[in-house]
Formats: sequence, structure tokens, C-alpha cells
Amino acid sequence: MSKELIRLRDCVMSYGDELVLDHIDLYINDKEFLTLLGPSGCGKTTTLRIIGGFLSPTAGDVLFDGVRINDVPPHKRAVNTVFQRYALFPHLNVFENVAFGLRIPKTDGSGRKTKLSEREIHDRVMDMLEVVSLKGFERRPVSALSGGQQQRVAIARALVNRPKVLLLDEPLGALDMRLRKDMQNELKRIQQEMEITFIYVTHDQEEALAMSDTVVVMDGGRIQQIGTPEDIYNEPKNAFVADFIGESNIIDGVMRADGVVEIFNRRFQCLDKGFAPDEPVDVVIRPEDVDIVDEAAGQLKGTVTSVTFKGVHYDTIVDFYGFKWLIQTTDYCPVDSRIGIKIDPDGIHVMKKSSYSGLFGDYSSYSEEYEELDAAEPEDGEENDSREGGHEE
Amino acid sequence: MKRQNRFGSRLFIGLTFLFLYLPIFLLIVFSFNAGDSSAVWKGFSLEWYAALFQNRLIMESLYTTLLVSLLATAIATAAGTFAAIGLYALSKRRRDALLVVNDIPMMNADIVTGVSLCLFFVAFFQGWGAFAQWFNGAQSVVELPERLTLGFGTMLLAHIAFNIPYVILNVAPKLRQMDKNLVDAAQDLGCTWMQAFWKVILPEIKPGIVSGALIAFTMSIDDFVISYFTAGSSTSTLAMRIYSMTKKRITPEVNAVSTLLFLSVLALLVLNNVREIRQERRADRQEVRAPSFFEKLSMGLSSPSRRWIRRGGLAAAVCVFVAAVALLTGVAWSQPVVNVCSWGEYIDEDLITQFEEETGIRVNYQTAESNEALYSLLKSGGADYDVIVPSDYMISQLMEEGMLEELDYSRIPNFAKIDERFKYLPYDPENKYTVPYSWGTLGLIYNAAMVEEEPSSWGVLYDGRYAGNVLLINNSRDALGAALLHLGYSVNTTDEGEIREAFSLISDASRRGVFQGKVMDQVFQKMEGGNAAIATYYAGDYLSMLENQADGVDLRYTIPQEGANWFVDAMCVLKDAPHYDEALQWIDFIASTKANLANMDYIWYASPNKEALEQYPAWYEEQYGEELDPELYEIMAPPPEVLERCEMYLVLPPATRALYNELWIQLGT
Repeated sequence: MSKELIRLRDCVMSYGDELVLDHIDLYINDKEFLTLLGPSGCGKTTTLRIIGGFLSPTAGDVLFDGVRINDVPPHKRAVNTVFQRYALFPHLNVFENVAFGLRIPKTDGSGRKTKLSEREIHDRVMDMLEVVSLKGFERRPVSALSGGQQQRVAIARALVNRPKVLLLDEPLGALDMRLRKDMQNELKRIQQEMEITFIYVTHDQEEALAMSDTVVVMDGGRIQQIGTPEDIYNEPKNAFVADFIGESNIIDGVMRADGVVEIFNRRFQCLDKGFAPDEPVDVVIRPEDVDIVDEAAGQLKGTVTSVTFKGVHYDTIVDFYGFKWLIQTTDYCPVDSRIGIKIDPDGIHVMKKSSYSGLFGDYSSYSEEYEELDAAEPEDGEENDSREGGHEE
Repeated sequence: MKRQNRFGSRLFIGLTFLFLYLPIFLLIVFSFNAGDSSAVWKGFSLEWYAALFQNRLIMESLYTTLLVSLLATAIATAAGTFAAIGLYALSKRRRDALLVVNDIPMMNADIVTGVSLCLFFVAFFQGWGAFAQWFNGAQSVVELPERLTLGFGTMLLAHIAFNIPYVILNVAPKLRQMDKNLVDAAQDLGCTWMQAFWKVILPEIKPGIVSGALIAFTMSIDDFVISYFTAGSSTSTLAMRIYSMTKKRITPEVNAVSTLLFLSVLALLVLNNVREIRQERRADRQEVRAPSFFEKLSMGLSSPSRRWIRRGGLAAAVCVFVAAVALLTGVAWSQPVVNVCSWGEYIDEDLITQFEEETGIRVNYQTAESNEALYSLLKSGGADYDVIVPSDYMISQLMEEGMLEELDYSRIPNFAKIDERFKYLPYDPENKYTVPYSWGTLGLIYNAAMVEEEPSSWGVLYDGRYAGNVLLINNSRDALGAALLHLGYSVNTTDEGEIREAFSLISDASRRGVFQGKVMDQVFQKMEGGNAAIATYYAGDYLSMLENQADGVDLRYTIPQEGANWFVDAMCVLKDAPHYDEALQWIDFIASTKANLANMDYIWYASPNKEALEQYPAWYEEQYGEELDPELYEIMAPPPEVLERCEMYLVLPPATRALYNELWIQLGT
């Protein structure tokens, strides 16, 4: 695609006994939109802070344009950051917040300090406010802005410095759902317009899939998979990735031959090859890849235990030999009815066994999982009105 | 029922506030009293405020107070702010532990802080002395001072030390409220840490810094105990000066200065509270408010074309501050100086000014509380006086311990004017160390309106005729001295039996409730106000009581038939005094007839200068246009035949001193 800009080489970060980053290797290309995706505590923010210069890795190298920058402080890196809770300067108005970076004298190659003229600062700030659609707000105190507006100020404040790389640490985490969708489009537009590299941290897989050129899935301080959104979704490397990205039924299987996998003592055609004969594997079947048929015609037979209407489809939980599957279908099947299913070969994804095997993929506790998600939502993402006013806690 | 309750609780609140504020209210009222008394209202006047601003000792200590408070506040605010920021860089567990440690000095008793700092400084000075001696001996390029003493510097350090926790306490919450990412954000946008501090952290925590500084300043201004222990001998804050002024009687001048101190501290607290309330309101409303004048000013100044003005302004402010400090402290270095330690209200202060004008030598005039306090101060090494004015028995003790310097009498021509009666006295038999300052007697002071007949014996203190109206002097030497005289023994006896006999005279009377209390300085108010009938005290102080006695009180003074103690206070120079020449000039000046006349008139103690003593009645008549009451003159300066009956204290051997102490402690309070 284009040339490599940043590389993390065998980076380790540990606090005492606690290993936060476990030998990370990663490169980021110029003008790429790369997302670090993972649950909280996976090391994604730590990785971002290492790139930003706020942390120094315990071991390993950080390279920028091929130069090692481990010991370069944040203010000397051609990188700017949009912080999780914006971190706008409360004592400055919108204009001054955006102009902040421009007003710091820069040292040029020959060691001379250069300062921008007031005229230039003004023009660049106003241009940037136009990019983030905040023209006319420049004299407002930042505390008088809504969450979305504050977000835009934070982005403008970072971008006005024309960084080569923009780091974004869960920048949309504090916005409500609709605003989040708008801002996703906005961010993508800005990235393409400005032609710079974005490194984006989020725990929201939808956000990651929608915006990124490359997604890096992390867990437990390790990179689980790097790939395009399609690769990550369609060819998860292990049970963790499969479970974390979208909904997945993950079943124990045995590879009987190239293109043949056995689940529940039944053989299925698949596209995967290159496994040892009779190798135990994890099999991922996406809920939307399952067709419901008559019991008699099914490759597998099971009993419906719960049905939830989701608008376009029904979330149907089916018990197959004690293992509960999630099936998304437009056909309504009442609870306790017996059904059969068919799966096409391209709906079956075979993965090598990993330390995540057996942890995910069973939907016995599906309804509770939903409740948990609901309960977690306000804290996690949804913004209520009082927070809109810009009050931080 | 409910109504009653409400009335009751209001009454309770009212009484509580009355209890809290009535004393201060009285203080303020009496600071405007026209009279000299602090018990009797004699009309409105501002004379005490006027006197205050003319009192050079008070103005000097005000100067010291402001200087130490401002410097300590500035330094402690800077140090405390950075300390608080450092604390926030630590893990929460360590930070919380350290914040608790930070609270302890604030809760700690001032006296403990003061004493420990004093010990620390003195120990350090000793170590320093040894080091400097070795250093100076080892090379001759740089000469280090070998003798350091407590003074302004140590007091400043102490103030900084006790102010820092208050600053941290005020800055810490602001840091806690601050979004931690702000510093990261600033650094991310190109700031170094220091730039981030100035541009982001400082504006965010400014309210905390300002209130921390205000509280530190308030604490510094009204600190007494810690200053008292660390200021050493040659520096006094306002609070210390007020304390030394109250040694005899709370004069309206003290009321006036206390009123001013109270009002300024009150003003600071109000200022701080108003600021906080405003901030809260602003935070509540979160309004887009119009910038205040100062903000407009700073906004105007933040435009880059004028930034150099702001920098220049800052530089100018720093220069002015440094210059002010240099001026305030530097004057002391460029001018010869003499450090004098005397007693409170024991000199006509005009004499200090006259001396300074005549000689160009600056007088650093300090006061001690008692001979014993002076002694322990000298012993602790915390004093750097040149001239002291101890009493006879203390002089012999200091001589014995080799703490005094021999005087060069050829440079004290006025010594010739001292009456021969006051030379070669037992405390300095060869008269090598002393020049007498004043002399007087210890006698009975009684209120003629409260006694049936003129008491002629010390026995009246113990026989119970005036039970409950007798004041025992709270000083073992004087109290036991009177009892010894009454029993027909010498005041200088070392016979344990005699001393114990004298003591049982006092303790028996005490058990029978004869004494209203043991007093020193409270004697003035008690006797002047007619609250006690009889007391033992000094003649000069009787005369000043006489001036202030309330209506219906008729104070008299008598030397009982058994005789009494007579005493001499004399000027001495301490061994290795840093300003020996200046000290001799001062002693000669004070020994002059002119100075003795002024002093005698001011302090009401007799002068040892023969001319002054003889000329005083005539001088008095000339000054005040009326004749001096010969009776009063006789009390002030008893004729030789009365002195014959009196005995001077000699220094007691350590065993006897220990016995005195032990017995006095037994007596309790």
C-alpha cells in the first residue's frame, strides 16, 4: 500500500510482576487508519501511549520513519493525541484551545526557535474550526460546549499542528449512539481529507470494522490478529477474535481431512485445509450463516430454547446435544419446537486450538449476557443529558 | 413547647457567641480608652494608636513580622505547590500515606514544633562550628563564620517549614480535580513539562495556590510559639513583642496593636472565604461571564506584541521584591550594630534613637522575661547579644561560669559618675565586669483601703488576717527571701533547716487559704483594681501601679522592719561579644547623667548615677512644673539608712538552688 511509518519491535511493558504488553510487534503504514481493538485491560491504550511518548517500553524499540524514538519526549514527536475525555484546557476558550500547540515556539533543524505569526495562527485555527464544523464558536468557553462539540475541539486542537500521526484514545466513548455514528463518518472524512495516519483505540468492534483500514485485535497484552476488517471478521485466528468480533458459535471439532471437519460426530464440508489428520480444532459458525430447515432435512437437530425479535431477524437459541447455538434467522421458530439446520461450506471457519479454546462460543448464558451489556451501556458509551453540558463528574 | 425550645437554642447560640467574642470586643473597646487603665473606662481616644505608630520597637517588630510572613509565604507557596504536584505523580497508596504525614505538622502542638526546630538549629550550629573551624584552619582563601546563632534566618526557615503543609493541603484538592490528561495533552501539543506547568497546571490550580498562600500568610502573621523558639535573641515578631509588653500590665497600647492584628487576620480570612464562595457560585452557574478587569488586563497582556511587557513586569516585580528584601535586611549589614537584651518597659525608648543619632550605631533592642529565662537562652547558645542587664545574683552566676567579658573602663568615662555605693558590690567585688543600670528594693505593697493598719512586718503575709487577699510572689527567691527575713535569717542562707522552716511558713499559710494566688505580672491588675490587699513586689513597679490605681484604691509601699532585699541590675558584656566596641559605647551612653535622668523618670527605678540621683527632684519639677512628692522619691531611692537594713541576694550554691526549686515545685500552683 504505502510506506511504513511506525514500527513497534518486540515491545514489552511491565509494572513489577504485571505484564501489560507481552512482546508486541506491529508496524503502521503512512496514511493508514489503524485500530487497536480489545477489551479493557488488553494493552491497547498502553500501546497508544508508547507511540505518543507518554510511556517508555520496558524493553523493545519504537521506530518512527526508521529512527528509534524510545527516548524522545512527547513534545518532540510528530504525533498528536485526542484524549479519551478530551482534556481540553478549561481556562481557555475554543480558539485558544485550538491555538495552544501553535503558540509553543518550535525549534527548527538548525536549533533556532521559530514562532508563527499571529496572522498565521489565526488562519490555521479558523481553517481547522471549519474542518470540524465549529466556525462561530471560537470565543466560547469550552465548558459551554456539548460533548460532541468538545470532541471536535479536541480533534481540531490536535490536527491544527499537522501531525504525521493522530492518536485517538476512545474518542467517541463519551458520546451518545447517534452522535457516535455521525462522528465516525466525520473522522473518516477528516482522515481522508488530511491524508494522515490515524491510530485509533476502541473496545467497540462495530466502530473498528466501520472505520479502519487495518484492525489489530488485542487481548492480555498480546496481539491476537492483524488484518483488514473483512479478514478479521471472516477468518478469525482464534476463539477470542471470533467471539470478540461479532457473534459466533464456537464448537469443538476434529479435522478429518482437508475440507472435512467433524462436529458432534457429523462430518461437514468446509474450505479449510492444511491441518494434521484428526487434529482437534475450534470451529466458528456465524449465527447468520446457519439455515433453519425441517428437522428431518437438517445436518444437526436441536430444540429451540429462546427467541428474541430483533427487527430484521430473530435471535434464536437452539440446543444441540447440550450445546446452545445462536442462530439469526428471518424464520420464526417457536420455543420448544424441534428444528434442523444446514451450513454451507463457506459458513464454516476452522481455527487452530488456542488458550482461548473452550472459553467462548456457547450461548447458554446468552440472555444474561444481554442484560449485562444493557446495564453496562450508560457507563460505557451512552451519554445522558446532564453530561452533555460538559461537566466532568 | 416548640417555641420555648427555639428560644432556648437561640439563647444558647447567643451565649456561645458572646463567650467567643466578648473578650475580643472588650479588647477593641479598651484600645480606644483615654486612660492608662485596662479596667476603667476614661473616655474615647485614639492616643494609643498614635503611640503605637511612634513606638519604634513595635514598628520594628511589625516590619520583621511582615518580612518573615511575606518571604515565608512566597517560598512555602512555591515549595508546597511543587511538593503537591510531586505527590500526585506518586501512586495513590503512597500519596495518601504522605498526605497523612503532611497533616501531622498542622495538628502537632506548636510548642513541640518550636522546641524541636530550636534543638535542630542549635545542634546544626554546633556541627557547623566544628566544620567551619576545621575548614578555616585548613585553608585561608574563604573564611566561614564559625559562630552561627538563631535569628531571622532560622525563624524564616521555621515559618517556611510550618507553612508548607497548609499550601499542600490547599493545592492537593485542586490537583485531584484536575483532569490528569491535561498535562499529557499540553506535552502532546509541544510543551515541555515546565511549559505545561506554567500554561496548564498553574491556571488550573491557581485558586488553591492563592488560598494556600493566604492561609500560610495568616498563620505566619499570628504565629507566636514557633517564632519564640526559633527567632533567637535578636529578632522579635509582633506577637512576641506584644507578649513581652504584657509582662507588667496589659497597656492600652497592647490592646491597640492586638486589635489591629485581629482585624488584619480577620480581613485575610474574609478575603479567602469570599474568594471561595465566588468560585463555587461560578462553578455552579457555569455561566459565560464577562471577564473581570484583571482578566481583561491579562488577556490584553497575553497578546504576543505585548508579551515582553508582561515579562518585563514580572522581572520588575521580582526586582522590587529582591530590592525590598535587600533593603530591609541589608541595612543591618552596612551599619554597625549593638545587640542589647534588657527587660520589658525598662528603658526610655527615646534614648535608643538618641544613641543611634549620636553614634550611627544601630541598636537591636530585645527583652527577656526573667533572669532565669535569659540564663537558659544564653546557655542554649541561641543568643547573640552584646549587652545584657541581669540582676546581681545572676551576674555572679554568669561570672562564675566565665560567660562575661571584662570591661575596658577607660572607654566608659561615665563610670566615674556612678555613686561609690554601687561599685565593688558583692556580685562583682573587683568591679571588672559591670556598670550598674538601676537599683531598687523589694517591699510590701498594700491597699490602705483594705487593711486595718499599716503593716510593718512580713508576718502579715502569713498570719491570715487578710486571708484570701494576699498575693504571693511567684518567684522562689523573693518568696522564700521574705519568709527568711521574717524568721530573722539571711536571704543568702544555705542552711537547709532554715530554708525548710521558711518554706513551711509559706506552705502552712497556703494550706490555710491565706493566698489568693501566686502572681508575677498579674499583680498590677489585682492591686490597681483593688482585688487584693497585700502583695510583695518591687518599688519601681509600685510607683507605676500608683499611676493606674482605680478610684477608691489607695496603694502604699513599705519596707518591713525585718528589712528587705535590695537589688542592682547592671550592664555586662558577654564573652566574645561580636560588637565589643559598640557595646562599650552603649554602656557609656546609658551611664551618662542625661540618660539616667530620662530612664529614672520613665521606669521609676532609682539611678546609680550620683548626679542623676541628686538632680532628679529638680529635674522633675522643671519637666512637669510640679514638685516631686518626697515620699515617692524616698520609695524610689531609699536613703542609705534604709538600705542598711536591706540585704542583697548572692548567688546560691547549686545544692541550695536545687532545694529552692524542689520546694517551689512542692508548693504547686
